[in-house]
Amino acid sequence: MSAPVIAMDSLVCAAGGRTLLDIAELRVQPGERVGVVGPNGAGKSTLLRALSGFMPPMHGQLEVLGHLLQTALTAAELRQLRQEVGQVLQGLHLVARLSALDNVLIGCLGRISGWRHWSRRFTATENAQARAALQAVGLQTRAATRADQLSGGERQKVAMARLLMQQPRLILADEPTAALDPAAAIEVCQLLAQAARGATLITVVHNPALLAGLADRVIGLRAGRIAFDLPVAEVSEALLAELYRPASEQQNQRQPEALATPPNHSIEVCS
Amino acid sequence: MGWLALAYALLVALCLGSLIQEDELSMGRNPIANLLKTAGDFAHPSFLDVWLGNPALEYRSDDGTLLRVENRQDVERNYLAGLAEATWTTLRIATLGSLLGALLSLPLALLTARNLAAPRPLAWLAKGILDVVRSIHTLVFGLVLVGIVGLGPTAGILAIGLHSMGTYGKLFSEAIESLDMAAINAVRSVGASPAQVFLHAIWPAVMPQFISSHLYIWEFNIRDSTILGIIGAGGLGLLITEATSLFQWGRLSTVLIVVVILVASFDAMSRRIRAALL
Repeated sequence: MSAPVIAMDSLVCAAGGRTLLDIAELRVQPGERVGVVGPNGAGKSTLLRALSGFMPPMHGQLEVLGHLLQTALTAAELRQLRQEVGQVLQGLHLVARLSALDNVLIGCLGRISGWRHWSRRFTATENAQARAALQAVGLQTRAATRADQLSGGERQKVAMARLLMQQPRLILADEPTAALDPAAAIEVCQLLAQAARGATLITVVHNPALLAGLADRVIGLRAGRIAFDLPVAEVSEALLAELYRPASEQQNQRQPEALATPPNHSIEVCS
Repeated sequence: MGWLALAYALLVALCLGSLIQEDELSMGRNPIANLLKTAGDFAHPSFLDVWLGNPALEYRSDDGTLLRVENRQDVERNYLAGLAEATWTTLRIATLGSLLGALLSLPLALLTARNLAAPRPLAWLAKGILDVVRSIHTLVFGLVLVGIVGLGPTAGILAIGLHSMGTYGKLFSEAIESLDMAAINAVRSVGASPAQVFLHAIWPAVMPQFISSHLYIWEFNIRDSTILGIIGAGGLGLLITEATSLFQWGRLSTVLIVVVILVASFDAMSRRIRAALL
């Protein structure tokens, strides 16, 4: 059996005197599709940030794709990790002034090395790949349109095409359908599942209806701890209701989470 | 809000009242006649004499002796040639000064932009420099610099550059602060190197704003540099000083027409460029 994609042992993340994440043990094998559920503040986004190497120092053991994340990585290691870890965030994080095609091409930046760092030129192969990725999400006619002229659903599809372009081994998706209407949400989920073919997929999901399409295994988080870790077939509505039941009596508080941005808003150009 | 408006009204009343009390608000002896005379002079810009001027204007002494004969058309034609050269000098001072200011301000803007989180002491130092240079007028810089580098366009370029550095720094750092950090993080998240993050995320976002600010201040500096000649930095200002000290309102009128055309055409051009950028 190959080494796990993710190996966590007694991992504790804390910020501002509050424990955000406290996980005794977690293993994710290559090719697994994991859904993460839990109420606001349960540590879902923190978990994804920890896995992507965007997280401040922590205690315990965390190994992602063979990189030990509890120690500070060198810039080169971090780059390699990020290249292999695809992220789909809550917002529609495209570069507004670039065309859809240019945004898709950003997906392959991690593979570019040497002097081409300093140029904005891409090779013919890369351009062809990007066009193919846009075609895969059905946006080939919008290639030259600037990202800020696209609709919300189109932007999320461009983000998916960027993911296809990146060809990551591990995909972390944080509420990929948060801002979309139900039809677009289902379509984006299908695209995400397609992009994740052959890769490991970890998705934070709020809508239980989407779980089946995106996950084989479901992890319930509550107050930073794993509440359950079950195959998707065994996750019942009662179990989810219990997970989301607030400690206080605010039953219907299910706003979309607003923690996509890290607390530190600086551009860490040198990391 | 109410008491602020009241304080403002009181300040205005104080300024006006004290000036009246000190009898400093006089209009001179016969303002109407002076106004009409000046307006009449202005209404006959000197460049008209290139066609309308007397080709053989005779200067005679009191006893009627002919001192010399002057061709007004030639004189004004030469003046126009000088004016063209002065305009060119002004344009060069403004262009190079603006570019100098933009380049000088870039590192300071990077240091003062809050979202880049530069080390605090450096940020304060940069902000201090920008505030100081912004509050010192171009003319003051010019006067000091003429003493250092001598008369001529160099002093003008440096004065414009130093003063507009403050404005550039403020506008540039605001452009940087309005960056979409999430998009930048998204580009970093695919494993892009710092250079790539700059080229693919930061530069496309700030470039239009930088260029727009640059055009705006450049245009402002063209206006500003017309006055720099007064302190000996050359260009149109020199002709303005000359005309005003000799009370040649016709010539001043010509110079001002050129200034207006220069500024208006630059404004039209930069507006078009800005519209194309957004």
